Amino acid sequence: MGEYASSDAAATLARAEELGSVVRRGTRWFAWYQVVFGCGAGLQLLIVGLLKPPYAASFSGVLFGTVMAGLGVYAGRQPVVRRGFGKRIAITVGAWALLYAAVLVPGFICFQGAAAWWMPGAVAVALPGLIGGYLEARR
Amino acid sequence: MTDPHDAITAPNADAATGAAARTGSHPRHGLDEVIHAPVRFSIVATLAAAEKAEFAFVRNTVEVSDSVLSRQVATLEKAGYVAVTKGYVGKRPRTWLALTADGRAVFADHCRALRAIAGAGEG
Repeated sequence: MGEYASSDAAATLARAEELGSVVRRGTRWFAWYQVVFGCGAGLQLLIVGLLKPPYAASFSGVLFGTVMAGLGVYAGRQPVVRRGFGKRIAITVGAWALLYAAVLVPGFICFQGAAAWWMPGAVAVALPGLIGGYLEARR
Repeated sequence: MTDPHDAITAPNADAATGAAARTGSHPRHGLDEVIHAPVRFSIVATLAAAEKAEFAFVRNTVEVSDSVLSRQVATLEKAGYVAVTKGYVGKRPRTWLALTADGRAVFADHCRALRAIAGAGEG
């Protein structure tokens, strides 16, 4: 009986692990979500930094607004949301906001129109999303 | 001459056994009766890996019918382990299931007890 109970417990734990794997596969969409966010953020910064002022703000705003709205709809349609979703979004967006400010403020003051500043800056701003997506895909 | 040791140890041994049973020293006492049922365990194990999941996703993952899932979710909800929220995606109604904090804690204890039982069998 004791031996049966222990093998039964092991089988139950194995079933839990198997179900956890199914859920993790179902939440892989979050990797794409973060990659698209990262690319959108980088592109938005390039537009802000390299386009002439009257067009830059409106075009980058429309682009990033569209990306964020699209991601919102995409996330809302997913059947399962990974555990810790809110926390991870907060980390990604928080890191993006810090990097964005760190690139944007000196860029506007000293490097207006300088591709040598804005292109690496765009990569830096895209990194939180890209790293988050990579880590998510590796889970 | 009777051995005074017998007279003393026998009742004490009974008392000790009874106390162990009452305090639940065996790992099986850590098992939760509500979660222990196979379908309910599968539902909770599915939800434990997610922040929230759609009713249809859980139904397909656990491989049960709508009515069975509804019944088991109602039991889990009554126990305070699962929260059910209803909403819409576009015009389609959706039901979301999520483990409550209590549900997560009880599931963690339940799995701990299962690991202890499985470990005891190996040893």
